[in-house]
Amino acid sequence: MLTFILKRLAQAIPVLLAIYTITFFMIRFSPGSPFSDERKVAEHIIAAQSEYYGFNDPVPVQYLNTLLQHLQLNLPPITSHPGLTAADIISESFPVSLELGIWAMLIALTLGIPAGVLAAARQNTTLDYAPMSLAMVGICLPTFVIGPILALVFGIWLQWTSVSGWSTPTDRVLPSLTLGLFYAAYIARLTRGGMLEILSSDFVRTARAKGASEFRAVVVHALRGGILPVVSFLGPALAGLVTGSFVVESIFQIPGLGRHFVEATFNKDQSLILSTVLFYAGLIMLANLSVDVVQVLLNPKLRHK
Amino acid sequence: MRLSPKLPTDTDAPSSLWNDALRRLLDNRLAMAGLAFFAFITLFCYAGPLVYRFNPEAQVLALESTLPFTTAHLVEVRFDPSKATPDEVTTLEDFAEVYAQNPEAELAALATGQPLEVNGMLFTPLTRFHVFGTDAKGRDMLARIMSGGRISLGVGFLATATALLIGVAYGSISGYLGGRVDALMMRFVDILYALPFLIFVILLMVLFEDFEHKILLVFLAIGAVEWLTMARIVRGQVINLKEQEFVLAAKATGVRTASIITKHIAPNLLGPVVVYATLLIPAVMLLESVLSFLGLGTQANAASWGSLIREGQQAMRSAPWQLIAPSLFFSATLFAMNFLGDGLRDALDVKSAKD
Repeated sequence: MLTFILKRLAQAIPVLLAIYTITFFMIRFSPGSPFSDERKVAEHIIAAQSEYYGFNDPVPVQYLNTLLQHLQLNLPPITSHPGLTAADIISESFPVSLELGIWAMLIALTLGIPAGVLAAARQNTTLDYAPMSLAMVGICLPTFVIGPILALVFGIWLQWTSVSGWSTPTDRVLPSLTLGLFYAAYIARLTRGGMLEILSSDFVRTARAKGASEFRAVVVHALRGGILPVVSFLGPALAGLVTGSFVVESIFQIPGLGRHFVEATFNKDQSLILSTVLFYAGLIMLANLSVDVVQVLLNPKLRHK
Repeated sequence: MRLSPKLPTDTDAPSSLWNDALRRLLDNRLAMAGLAFFAFITLFCYAGPLVYRFNPEAQVLALESTLPFTTAHLVEVRFDPSKATPDEVTTLEDFAEVYAQNPEAELAALATGQPLEVNGMLFTPLTRFHVFGTDAKGRDMLARIMSGGRISLGVGFLATATALLIGVAYGSISGYLGGRVDALMMRFVDILYALPFLIFVILLMVLFEDFEHKILLVFLAIGAVEWLTMARIVRGQVINLKEQEFVLAAKATGVRTASIITKHIAPNLLGPVVVYATLLIPAVMLLESVLSFLGLGTQANAASWGSLIREGQQAMRSAPWQLIAPSLFFSATLFAMNFLGDGLRDALDVKSAKD
């Protein structure tokens, strides 16, 4: 298991390097500059700023310098928030995004898994069709339609919750729901599919034959195997949560990392873009790795591969 | 009720894979409803403007955010009665406040529908009926939804075509050649899979925002992202197919490689490719709308459904219909495409054939 993890970590290095290189050159060769502003700024100030941020060095030197700074976790200063570094922005705003993601995932799992198990256990009855039709709705409706509609109905018409911000507990309700509903729907479908396959297998029939209650057969025996598709979905789901957070944070004006990233691209803040992209890439890879480890732990068949 | 044509009897020709698939598709009511709705929405977006003649870009400030399903009463103001085009279009309230000398009498006169001359200025009453009301700049919502639909559908199809072209070519070459070339080509796809692609699309959109044909960039960027899965599916199919007896038989009897690919392999690839492409269209439309919603995609002069929803969200407190109307059209289209794709998958799934 340890060799597996180490091997995967070693594989991640060239990918991260490729991401760094692509992003670096994409930013360097794009038109526009972080200092293009409506206000007129004196030439010598721009020159001094360019010197400070290291934009005057030859490109290969910049490439190596920035790479070294990232390797030492000593992130370069950023242009859109003078005096701060990307590390400050990430450490301040990532916890917000993380909390949003955790709430969304909790909602998705607590709604999705029971709905899927119920639908599979009562296949081809109303208890199957009703949640599965709802799940189809949840999958087809895009986040940026669900979000504003929820805000309109519950925030503006019914006045139950707030529609923007991230300071009080009620601020968390709508964003987490908006982000979580798609995953709840997807997880419900995956759980149903996985459970249907397992419920018809021999060991569940044996359990039933030996007099296990329906609850015991479904929840204790079948669920462990039936949930495997959900576990393998969690890796891609995390990558999706990251991009979903761009939209949700923009709808509900949440000061998370997603919003900072989108703003950084608007401001052409080269250092912040680069550091954030690398941070996201590392995060997604780490998530995929932990999902693979969990999968191996849950599924004995994979252990000897 | 069966919607399908008469089933073949024993005396008819044996049913082919495609006949079977068509029959299953025709029997799937959800999929047919999806297809019908999709045909309707395409017709609506492309032919609708021939019937519903509002310019989606024409801003009439006096008409800002008028309610859906109501008739707006306006007054055309001409400072010189002989002029053809009005100098201003204004509401009845503004007319009474700014131009009228004896508001009650003149409003009553306008209500008869006749032009009215006051102080050498000509006032012509004008009624306009906007089905879904207007947006914050007085543009007709329904006309904007039609033009936005053309953008969204266009991007959906073009980006899917891009992904299809790259994916099928890459996947079939990799699968058919096999061996070391295949391993190398698929390793490349694996590496690309590990990249956080939407982040790159966003970067691309922002960094090249001054690019003239931005919409071209949108579907190139999306197409370049979405071909990976297509390449994997096609490769898997090709590897499977080239080991099949009928391909071996064709090889053994000396059929040329080109013929084997076009006559024996390609037709069998068609099923999964068609299914995946159908499901890819809504996925691409969604991706394009996410970009537009974030303010990165198509803009101002070419507003897609995503941009309309973005504008609607900003105005939802005072004018919720500006959010609800485009959201309904967009969601319904995504539904229809997904149902159609699922139906095609069920119909063409060779494994579950011969029921």
